[in-house]
Amino acid sequence: MPLLRAIALTKDFGGLRAVSSLSFDLHAGEILGLIGPNGAGKTTAFNLIAGFIPATSGDVLLDGLSVLGLKPHAVVKRGIARTFQIVKPFRKLPVLENVTLAAFLHEPQRDRAEAQARRWLAFAGLEAQAERFASDLTLGEQKRLEIARALATKPRILLLDEPMGGLNPAEVDEACALVERIRAGGVSVILVEHHMKAIMRISDRVVVLHHGVKIGDAPPAEIVQNRDVIAAYLGEVAHA
Amino acid sequence: MSRALAAAAAGLLLVAAPLLTSNTFVQHLLIMTLFAALLGAAWNLLGGYAGQVSFGHATFLGLGAYTTMLLHLRLGLSPWLALIAGGLLAALMAVPFGWICFRLRGPYFSLATLAVAEITRLVVLNWESLTAGPMGLLITTLPALTIFGKPVNWESKVPFYYVILILAALVTLATWRISRARLGAYLLAIREDMDSAEAAGIDTVRTRVLALALSAFFVGTAGGFYAIYFRYIDPDAVFAIALSVEMVFVPVVGGIATTFGPIVGAVFLTTLGEVFRDRFQSGHLIFYGFFMMIVIRFLPDGIWGRVRTLLVRRRAPNV
Amino acid sequence: METFVQSLVSGILTGALYAMIAVGLTIVFGVMRIINMAHGEMVMLGMFGAFWAHHSWHLDPFVSILIWTPAMFAFGLAIHRFLLRKIIPTGELNTLLYTAGLSLLIANLALLAWSGDYRTINLDYALKPARPFGIAVPIPLAIAFGIALLLTTALYFFLTRTDTGRAIRATAQNPDSAALMGVNVARIESITFALGTALAGAAGVLLAPSLYLYPTVGEILSVKCFVIVVLGGLGSVPGAIVGGILLSIVESLGAVYVSVAYKDAIGFVLFLLVLLFRPGGLWGTGRA
Repeated sequence: MPLLRAIALTKDFGGLRAVSSLSFDLHAGEILGLIGPNGAGKTTAFNLIAGFIPATSGDVLLDGLSVLGLKPHAVVKRGIARTFQIVKPFRKLPVLENVTLAAFLHEPQRDRAEAQARRWLAFAGLEAQAERFASDLTLGEQKRLEIARALATKPRILLLDEPMGGLNPAEVDEACALVERIRAGGVSVILVEHHMKAIMRISDRVVVLHHGVKIGDAPPAEIVQNRDVIAAYLGEVAHA
Repeated sequence: MSRALAAAAAGLLLVAAPLLTSNTFVQHLLIMTLFAALLGAAWNLLGGYAGQVSFGHATFLGLGAYTTMLLHLRLGLSPWLALIAGGLLAALMAVPFGWICFRLRGPYFSLATLAVAEITRLVVLNWESLTAGPMGLLITTLPALTIFGKPVNWESKVPFYYVILILAALVTLATWRISRARLGAYLLAIREDMDSAEAAGIDTVRTRVLALALSAFFVGTAGGFYAIYFRYIDPDAVFAIALSVEMVFVPVVGGIATTFGPIVGAVFLTTLGEVFRDRFQSGHLIFYGFFMMIVIRFLPDGIWGRVRTLLVRRRAPNV
Repeated sequence: METFVQSLVSGILTGALYAMIAVGLTIVFGVMRIINMAHGEMVMLGMFGAFWAHHSWHLDPFVSILIWTPAMFAFGLAIHRFLLRKIIPTGELNTLLYTAGLSLLIANLALLAWSGDYRTINLDYALKPARPFGIAVPIPLAIAFGIALLLTTALYFFLTRTDTGRAIRATAQNPDSAALMGVNVARIESITFALGTALAGAAGVLLAPSLYLYPTVGEILSVKCFVIVVLGGLGSVPGAIVGGILLSIVESLGAVYVSVAYKDAIGFVLFLLVLLFRPGGLWGTGRA
């Protein structure tokens, strides 16, 4: 049984069908890339799975149990954490507190939650920034802070929404290494990303969305050969 | 160490304060200061820590006051037990109040709380069979009570001082504990960003309702105190928009989302306010409004917030 | 039937004045994203302006409006320039609290200056209502209605036909792109705030002969105004006009057919329902 299964997930905004009957599986220990041109419905798919917006129809099963219709915090409790495309750290709180807040989910004692938070900060390479305010971090650091915050909820699945957007090449390499470390730690990852090189390098499998419809689902090597994908998406990249 | 000493000294002073003066006006002033501190601190739990600016907290004050009054007058319950019941009923009302208002964010939340408070006021005003409407309710004599074998003199202000001192101390203690516990951290997270709070696994609806219920409980007991202290209430006295607004001003001036800010704000606004009220009618409100603007413009963390920052800097110049 | 028509008529007449006040609030919200808690006090100042002009200089309110409208415009400019400009960028909640302070300050300064007495303006021609078709129409209210229509229409043409008006609408739609198109956003904010203040003040002058005047009347007017702009959709001018007339009719009919006591509650209940279920306003034209 797959860890996570999306079944015919559909979302209409007014007359617009943002996600259309999307089905895919995520297996334990997998890094799944989710790609597609702007407006393809990737972030909408994340918002549906994480419970931030209600689905029009379809279902999402975690270990065979539906998580659709749960509030976001309840989805987190079940083991699906997320980051935001446009980072949303708690800006006026210290970096450590940002992560401690999430660690509180499973550890109500402050000192122990803080100790866990420090470990996650170290994991994300932010231990030196622990006492600074989140608003003082660079964009790359803020993205890692969000990842640390999500990890502190002890998820089984992590939804990463463009963790590499706006980063310089060195930071992208760091981010790739971080994603692989996360997987090594036993967390499965779904990764929305525009950075093609990175996603092809670290994904085990890639799902391609176009106008809300899935047009490809295969390992990276096959995806780059897929005609529909090339027509809809990679063609556009080739021009860029 | 010096901190504990300062706290002990302050505590001793607060306990001894009404015995240091026999001037009833000064005693009344002390009572009103603690009353304002109680309201401000209670509002601060929701409005300060969780950033949910309510303009409708008079609802809870009024409900607490009317519950206390009615339980005492109609059912003969001891007014002091009725005061606790008033707090509990106010806390219970936090659930429908929150159910309606927490669907909205920012200024929309504030406007909705205002509307709920006005609707409650109108219902109480017009439900004359229960509340006597605009006539109001009156306690003629307070039942006798003996403490440590001595009868309490209800004509003196001193016993009232100790009641309000206990209530204000309780809300301050509660705030202090909460601000250091998980709940306090959750409230700050909600103030910062609701989506991120949910993403961190925080049940933002439940947490806000909890904060509102706590806040409402203390405001409700304050309402009960008001009823017993003044022995008369009517809807315009305890459900007024102006009261809701005053409750906002105390912590904002003192220092929002701090444990001691509401106390500082209450001391500042009440004492200086009284000085102005003495000079001319409504002088204190002119002063409140003016000071509110000054604080937001020049002291965004409030008086206590500013002092605290200075203290921290002096202690640890490297931070 | 006669009662119905009668309350409908008085609802519509008062409604035009509510609408005018609400339009002032809504354009300020549209351009600056702030809710001005002191808006009702601007109406109160207009009312007292009319009262004193009548009392001291024997000026009819419908004449002194020519003085008070520009005076309130200037007052609005000054408030924006010296008090609000630095506050608005610090956030909508800060501005809400700040203007709440301003509202308390103005209302109580007025209380100090003019005392809490209820005052009225007695006009000779107001003693007997006109009776077209057997319906009593208070003459001052009818004149106020006419002027309110005139001013609101003028505002409409100002917003749609002049460069400044178009700039205001562009800024309301998107301040960033308005700035890119060369609109001086700071100047537009100033003008919009002054315009909102002038509308409130002018409405106050017009209402003065028909209502009791007292310094804290602004509170209830502010609250009514919030109800109206939420009904019509925050930021929407047509919404505020329809919302104002709607609220007034509901109040006026409610007083007759539901109960005088709960007349004000009807507005609030409507307000909450709209906030909860149609946050963009009844017509979905505002932006929540």
